[in-house]
Amino acid sequence: MLKKHNILVVEDELELAKSTLAYLTENGFSPFHAKDLKSARKLLKQENFSAVLLDLGLPDGDGMALIKEIKNAKNEIGLIIVSAKDALDKKIEGLELGADDYLTKPYFFPELNARLKSVIRRLNLEVNQEIILNEITLLPEQMRTLIHGEELELTAKEFGLLLYFVSNQNRVISKTTLGEFMSSNYADYGFTDDVVYTHIKNLKKKLSTSNADDYIKNVYGVGYKFTVA
Amino acid sequence: MKLLTKTSLNFISASVIFFLVGSMAMYFSVRNIIAKDLQNRLLQQQNEFIYTAQQNKVTDLVSELVFIQTTEKKRLHSFSDTVLIVNEKYILYRKLVFSYAQNEQDYKVSILLSQSESDKLIMKIAIMNIGFAMLFFLIMFFVNRRSVRNALTVFYSTIRKLEDFEVNQITTLSLDTAEIEEVKKLNEVFEKMSAQIRQDFISQKEYTGNISHELQTPLAIISSKADELMQADNLSKEQMEQLALLLETTNRLSKINQALIFLTKIDNRFYTEGSTFAINDLLKEKLTMFGELIADKNIVLKLDVLDTTHVYMDKYLADTLLVNLIKNSLVHNKQGGELIVELASNRLSISNSGNPLTFAESDIFKRFTRSEHNKKSLGIGLSVVQSICELYGFDLQYSYDGMHNFIIKF
Repeated sequence: MLKKHNILVVEDELELAKSTLAYLTENGFSPFHAKDLKSARKLLKQENFSAVLLDLGLPDGDGMALIKEIKNAKNEIGLIIVSAKDALDKKIEGLELGADDYLTKPYFFPELNARLKSVIRRLNLEVNQEIILNEITLLPEQMRTLIHGEELELTAKEFGLLLYFVSNQNRVISKTTLGEFMSSNYADYGFTDDVVYTHIKNLKKKLSTSNADDYIKNVYGVGYKFTVA
Repeated sequence: MKLLTKTSLNFISASVIFFLVGSMAMYFSVRNIIAKDLQNRLLQQQNEFIYTAQQNKVTDLVSELVFIQTTEKKRLHSFSDTVLIVNEKYILYRKLVFSYAQNEQDYKVSILLSQSESDKLIMKIAIMNIGFAMLFFLIMFFVNRRSVRNALTVFYSTIRKLEDFEVNQITTLSLDTAEIEEVKKLNEVFEKMSAQIRQDFISQKEYTGNISHELQTPLAIISSKADELMQADNLSKEQMEQLALLLETTNRLSKINQALIFLTKIDNRFYTEGSTFAINDLLKEKLTMFGELIADKNIVLKLDVLDTTHVYMDKYLADTLLVNLIKNSLVHNKQGGELIVELASNRLSISNSGNPLTFAESDIFKRFTRSEHNKKSLGIGLSVVQSICELYGFDLQYSYDGMHNFIIKF
């Protein structure tokens, strides 16, 4: 990643904020923390952010108030609402006010990472942006995959999975996390491991027939790791 | 029975009874008065007779209605009724018999007075009485009806407003101000009650929201810490497995929490707004969404959409309903099994070739009922389906005939 993206994490739960910040730093972001609306407003004036992670339930008010302020000031700031309240009306209200995405607590870091990157890509109109990793080239907007410059046909799920792995390199991603990621479109309660297994198996098979390296490693049967030397 | 009908009926029955009793009493008292009058007139005639008899011979005084006979008896004096046939008509007469002495001869004098005139009078009075009374009651009936109806206008408006009252509407229940003390009081009680119900509803809403928030945040911390720990390089297989299990369990806990909150929301009618739409397209969309999962399990999908079926539902709930039903039919299906989806004339049936149930058929929609074959399932999806069907009054049925059949009648 060429440019380090500044990310503002508005979160009143300190422990969660600490983990999030550590995770974001690890993944090449430059995160800032605000524990309430007041300090968030202050930081927004001082720094140039690519994205904001906004918790709704803050000690000094509802995070909703900040959505319009952020979007009015600079529309390209990616805004992801993070809330423990899985209330549909809140979700709709937030998205209508201009938020770009909505994550319900508890979420998994790789999921957050993937969504952050996607939001930043989208807002910076990096339409033809390529994600290049050795022999693998991904074109997220067109959902195209090139291996050694050759087109590889992947299903939407497989492409999503590969993009997810590429966004979360060298991390152990548990089956649960992957299951959540894969089932996020299903608005679903509990997804099965074998679905995850089947998709990863198919993806690995396709990658290997295109002579790509075997990046996706099984970790003790409990998760996977996209290993890049 | 309507209040107005009831009061009207009461009024009519009471009126009829009082009218009958009153008329009877009046009839007899009028008859009595007239009989007395008749008697007085007879006594007057007796006096006149005696006066005339002093100058004339008694026997000359015989006339059409005065009969004189000689008699031995003295001191006769009595009233009685008698009937004379005049021109072949029976005519009722009142008769006064008394004795009169002249020239040492006692005479029995009978004076008759026709009662037909007074009978006619009684009849006329009776008719007039009935007529007036009827008119009076008729007027009273309508006046009473109108006044009761007027007085109850506010009452009826209250009933209408209560019928339309829904606890999750933004507007509070505001009832008309009534002139009548009782209705006023009733409205006050209703307004108080509705405010209390709304207050409870809001607290409950907040409570579920808080529970959700208070549980989800710690869960988020646990899973983020577990995820962080998993990234350590020097973990043994066992440690890694334990962390993975911790993550999985936390996730499961969070899902259960969310699902229960969702169920509570449905049961408490948080989702009442909706729109009418054809469910056909949504069904196809959801089946497409599950396309990969269907392919993964080599499941044969037989889709048969005959009619356009319109439903009135919240879109989000419709979505959840279909997703849960389809997912259930896939997750519990066999590898290479069958999925039959039929939509015809307001009836949706989804059948799958999963293994037979390992629990009682009647428990299928109960929360936390899980199949032995799939212990990872939360056992909530079908409860959600049932709650949504109940909310909209859809008929949901389950049957097993080698296939598990779920049938919804919209």
